[in-house]
Amino acid sequence: MKKKSLFLFIIVFLLALITPLTHVNAASDNSLQQVKDKGTLVVGTSADYPPYEFTVKKNGKTKYVGLDISLAQKFAKDIGVKLKVKNMNFDSLLVALETHKVDMVIAGMNPTPERQKSVSFSNIYYTGDQYMLINKKDAAQFRKIKDFKGKTIGAQTGSLQYSLVKDQMKGNDVKGLAKLNDLVIALQSQKVNAVAMEEATAKAFASNNHTLKVINPGFDIDESQTGSAIGFSKGADSLVNAANKTIAMVKKDDLINKEYIPTAAKNMTSNSKTNSMANYWTYFVKGIEYTLIITVVSVFFGFMLGTLFAIMRLSRNRLAHALAVAYIEFVRGTPLMVQVMFVYFGIGAIIQSLPALIAGIIAVSLNSAAYVAEVIRSGIESIPAGQTEASRSLGMSQRETYRYIIIPQALKNIWPALGNEFVTLIKESSIVSIIGVTDLMYQMQLVQSATYKGVIPIFIAMVLYFIMTFGLSKVLGYFEGKMKHA
Amino acid sequence: MPNLIEVQNLGKSFGDNEVLKNISEEVTKGQVICVIGPSGSGKSTFLRCLNVLEDPTTGKVLFEGSNLTGISENELNNLREKMGMVFQSFNLFPNMNVIENIKLAPLRVKKMSDAAATQQAKELLEKVGLADKAEQYPQSLSGGQQQRVAIARALAMNPEVMLFDEPTSALDPEMVGEVLKVMQDLAESGMTMVVVTHEMGFAKKVADEIWFMAEGTIQEKGTPEKFFTAPKTERAQDFLSKILS
Ligand SMILES: Nc1ncnc2c1ncn2[C@@H]1O[C@H](COP(=O)(O)OP(=O)(O)OP(=O)(O)O)[C@@H](O)[C@H]1O
Ligand SMILES: [Mg+2]
Repeated sequence: MKKKSLFLFIIVFLLALITPLTHVNAASDNSLQQVKDKGTLVVGTSADYPPYEFTVKKNGKTKYVGLDISLAQKFAKDIGVKLKVKNMNFDSLLVALETHKVDMVIAGMNPTPERQKSVSFSNIYYTGDQYMLINKKDAAQFRKIKDFKGKTIGAQTGSLQYSLVKDQMKGNDVKGLAKLNDLVIALQSQKVNAVAMEEATAKAFASNNHTLKVINPGFDIDESQTGSAIGFSKGADSLVNAANKTIAMVKKDDLINKEYIPTAAKNMTSNSKTNSMANYWTYFVKGIEYTLIITVVSVFFGFMLGTLFAIMRLSRNRLAHALAVAYIEFVRGTPLMVQVMFVYFGIGAIIQSLPALIAGIIAVSLNSAAYVAEVIRSGIESIPAGQTEASRSLGMSQRETYRYIIIPQALKNIWPALGNEFVTLIKESSIVSIIGVTDLMYQMQLVQSATYKGVIPIFIAMVLYFIMTFGLSKVLGYFEGKMKHA
Repeated sequence: MPNLIEVQNLGKSFGDNEVLKNISEEVTKGQVICVIGPSGSGKSTFLRCLNVLEDPTTGKVLFEGSNLTGISENELNNLREKMGMVFQSFNLFPNMNVIENIKLAPLRVKKMSDAAATQQAKELLEKVGLADKAEQYPQSLSGGQQQRVAIARALAMNPEVMLFDEPTSALDPEMVGEVLKVMQDLAESGMTMVVVTHEMGFAKKVADEIWFMAEGTIQEKGTPEKFFTAPKTERAQDFLSKILS
């Protein structure tokens, strides 16, 4: 039973390898109808960008708020569906759109010509200036672009600000990070001298942190590129038109300035009042829960699959052997991070409703299987040939020999190495946070966004990871001791 | 007497190394054969070809009329259970205790009931004089005890023939006797046996026929009396003079 579903995983994985990733909507556009049929509008965003989108804690629950979210709510209401927010890295948003993980993307995103090649944008709903966030003590030194000569500037990877710095500050190093929170930490610890940011966001950070200050350095801005628009997958014209209708109404009543931004500001201040870590312990608990779920499930499947690959690799069947070797070498030769993204976006292109958690578990399991396979292989090879000969001479088949003689003995030998793999997975699984699985790493980032505190949440997460790995090592050591007496 | 095992033009090479050369022999039911010969002459390889633990390069091995090299893996497994094998290094399963070692194949291959398998295992342990060791693990037994368990384990499949590959040469001298005693009892009970051994006393006493092997062929064979008193070939004379001096 279990083996079968594992085979399915592999087949899906291999299919994903040969299937082109881009999913073209050949049929004429019925995107609006599809959303209406589903009854939910799935919106991708990157919720660390106040006041556009960020998280608050209400009654122990994470809520997505901000002017973008308000606008998305209005749009969902206008077309008569429910809103569902999916939070992910800014970098991943466009891929999520292309692979139909989300129906639209709203993230203070500027409709640059490059992006327009792969995305259909609505009309612009809001335009803000491009600012710099700096340390207050440098305020006298930095006023305009030319004052930054030779300094390092931070910007969010894939953002308009990143291109602006690249193009207009050619003498400067640009440090690109995926998360604004991390950029702000870098600024506070002098790793960068300034962070290029959109006006409203920069002001939000400055108002929540008294050592920071905003300046308008005077970027040369093409007006058409600074506004924010909603992104839809290419050719989803009916959705774009519907969105434009909502935007027109919102603009007519000036809802963004009169209603959405003030609400966002209120949320921001209420956040900063409650931003002591003690208020966020439920975030960490949820993170630990998910990290453990991912690890335990992946250890289980990684072990089953790893055993299978080890046996295939040792088999005299050339095809099975070659497949196993290819798989093991390939997986061990590519980073887990790439594998996680590939499974989520690649297999996700075939199975559209594949949740991030499942994708994360599949990727981590498949990855772990390759390492476990090698551990098991070495364990099997360490069993003397005489054991196999004795078993075969009793009339037992190859299969029975493995099952009753080889594997039980091999397991005993490799138990410590398998335990290590378990511990490693607790740490490595943190990578699934990039596709939005709410593991400890991800929850830590949420706490960072919510509290505007950079380092303390990292420290807490680090301690929690250590408690988990250390505790597990102790438990495994206890069982190892017990097995020795058997 | 019907032939239990028939070897026809058997040859075995490892790469360029031709270890067995065109051997044709027969083992009839109830016969006890001792294979002797110098080290490296191919005795183990020959024995392992009989139950196809080693795949013959040329020729055939017939067991009860079936060609072991020309049948499916499944059929081979079925025939192998009728050919018990005892190894120089015992090869007990260290992850199981003594009685589990003996019961494993009857349970898994013969699908015997647990009660029946346990009953049989106890009888066999009685027979090899180890009734009190049923619950011990192999590591805690002496070499002689381990080898007797290995014999009991092979007997648990009710084999038609027992193959022994130097069953006593890994043992301390004081333990050789207890193992040979079990083998002698077995021979007297009518079991067909092919025994590779350096124990000339045992061969003289128990064997119906001695096969002398050198350089990959059976150089001569005969009753123990004839072979040990008047070996025909120079190779055999040479071998015996070295051993007995
Ligand atoms: N698996 C193998 N691969 C390559 N060569 C082998 C293998 N097994 C045996 N040989 C070679 O075959 C020859 C005969 O070996 P074999 O073990 O049959 O001799 P033997 O008569 O049993 O010797 P001994 O009395 O030392 O046990 C030796 O030269 C040995 O090196
Ligand atoms: Mg030998």
